[in-house]
Amino acid sequence: MTLGAGRLIRAAAVAVAGTLPLLLTGCLAPLPQPLVGLNQRLEAAGPARGPSLSGDWLALIVSRDGRDRVQLVDLQRQQPVPLPGLERPDAQPLSVAVDGRGERLALVRQLEGRTELVLYRRNLMALQPVPLQPPGVPRRVALRGDGRELAVEVSRQGQWQVDLIAVP
Amino acid sequence: MLVFGLLALLLSGCGSWSWGRRSAGPVGWGGADRQDPALSGNGRVLASVVRRDGRDSVLLQEQPSGTVLPLRHFGRLQPHRSPSLSWNGRYLALLVQQGPERRVLIEDRTTGRLHRLPLPGGLVPESLSLAADGRRIAIATEGDGRSRVQLYDLTALLEPDLPAGLPVRGAPAAAP
Repeated sequence: MTLGAGRLIRAAAVAVAGTLPLLLTGCLAPLPQPLVGLNQRLEAAGPARGPSLSGDWLALIVSRDGRDRVQLVDLQRQQPVPLPGLERPDAQPLSVAVDGRGERLALVRQLEGRTELVLYRRNLMALQPVPLQPPGVPRRVALRGDGRELAVEVSRQGQWQVDLIAVP
Repeated sequence: MLVFGLLALLLSGCGSWSWGRRSAGPVGWGGADRQDPALSGNGRVLASVVRRDGRDSVLLQEQPSGTVLPLRHFGRLQPHRSPSLSWNGRYLALLVQQGPERRVLIEDRTTGRLHRLPLPGGLVPESLSLAADGRRIAIATEGDGRSRVQLYDLTALLEPDLPAGLPVRGAPAAAP
């Protein structure tokens, strides 16, 4: 073997050794881990959709006994918390969002043939309608982490718009 | 009569003011439909899905200026749906269509990396919500004739995006 060929082989070996960790990193990239215990509890609660995750709180819409309802789960305790004054048996929730402290929930729901946006304050157990100006039909809602602002998708005259609303 | 009318008008004005509403507004695409809003945890970045040329594309905007923020990876993977942002807007999680598959992707706007989140076979993601700190994600799926929500731990994948986190390229300056 000539000196040049030896150098070439050594260089190739170094290059392969340098690339190998990168290749392995690509193959062994960490994967998201399912939170098995929590997922089993969610599964047992019934079919669910429309999650909103913030801090240690998960809000979602769960179907049970043929009816959709809003559920708020304390992820630390892995338990749903009661939402007195929020639910009405004749209301159909469409979208829900929770703030980072689990104190405020923004909700779009259908009630008596209307679609409305409401804000629920858990410490007051009170529900407050959020008027849309100009009027429109809300659909999906999101909340800022501190619950002081919401973003809502609104249909007006056949067009979808996004309103940002500061929460007093 | 006039007094009552004025009073009603004033009250209506006060009500509107107290809720401090504003429209996210058009951003140069005329009357394009805008859907699926998501705010970063600190409220300084708004993501929404805008219909352009018949395709649903995610749009990231600084608030309140409305300045459009750049994204590196999502241009070819439309339509987009269900955007979700971390606290400073460092991470944008999104559902994208890749051929016949709908996938969950997360763009790290600080490093430019794209993370793919594989789901168990047969589950089609419908919507998602990323925790503001980036440590968890909730994904709503359809599959096996049932809709379900599942949570995933992302701590091995993402650095946390906390209120005092890393500055994000193209993000608005820190509040005074």
